[in-house]
Amino acid sequence: MPSLTEPFAVPGRTVKGDTRSEDRLAPTYYVVCWNDPVNFMVYVTHVFMKIFGWERQKAEKHMMEVHEKGKSILVREGAEKAEFYVQQLQSYKLQATMEPAE
Amino acid sequence: MKLVKQTQKGFQYELDQEDADSLRFLVKQFPLTAFSPVDISKTDSGSSAVEREALLNESLQAHRDDLKRKARRLVLPDKFKTLDGKQFFQVSLGARETLLQILNDIRVESWRVLGEPEDPDVNIFGLSKDKFKYYHFMRLAGYFEYHFLNLEEERG
Repeated sequence: MPSLTEPFAVPGRTVKGDTRSEDRLAPTYYVVCWNDPVNFMVYVTHVFMKIFGWERQKAEKHMMEVHEKGKSILVREGAEKAEFYVQQLQSYKLQATMEPAE
Repeated sequence: MKLVKQTQKGFQYELDQEDADSLRFLVKQFPLTAFSPVDISKTDSGSSAVEREALLNESLQAHRDDLKRKARRLVLPDKFKTLDGKQFFQVSLGARETLLQILNDIRVESWRVLGEPEDPDVNIFGLSKDKFKYYHFMRLAGYFEYHFLNLEEERG
C-alpha cells in the first residue's frame, strides 16, 4: 500500500514529471577497457584518474582488473555519455568500447 | 631526468642534453602513421552503433590533427631553458596531457607496425632496418612516458 506522503501512479497512466518509466526504457551501455601488452600500468591508471576524476586507489583497481582479467567495466551510462567516455579513452590510445548493458 | 618543480600550473623537469634532444626529435616525428579507425563495440553491430562508430572515428581523427598542430609548439626552444649546463623543460598541466597523448600514440602505433607483439621487447636481431626504427620509437616514447608519470608518483 502506498504511503500518503509518496506519489503513486495509477496503472496505465503517466504521472506528470515522472520519467522513471522512460529511464527504464532508455538503453544503457557498459564502457569497457580492454587489455593490451603495450600500455604501461601507470599510464592506464593516470588516464582513468584524468577522465573519470577517480582517486588513485579506484583507478588502480580497474587498471589491475584490465591487466589480470583482460577487461574492466568502467562505468554504465546512457548512449551519449558512454560515447563521450569511449572517445576520451581512445584519444589516449586505450582500447575502449561501449557494449549494450542488456 | 628529474622532476624539479610541480605546481598547480604545471611541471618543470631537468633533462640532460641527450634526453632533451631525443624528446624534441621524437615529438617532431608525430604522427608516425596514418590514422587507423577503431571499433566502438565488440558486440553491437546495429545501425546506431555503425553511425556512432563513424562519428567516433571522425572525432578521433580531428583530435589527432589537433595533436599534430600542438606537437611542434610543445618542444619549441622557449620550453627549454639552459642553466649551468643543464636543460630545464617546462610544461603546463594541459600541455603535459597533450604530450602524453602524443608519446603514447607514437608508442602504440610503433607497436602496431611491429605486428602487435604480445611482448613488446621483441628480438631486435630479427627486425628489418625499417622495423628497427619503429622499435626504437616505441622504446623512446615509453621511456619519456614512464618517467614523466613515475617522477610525479614518487613525489606523491
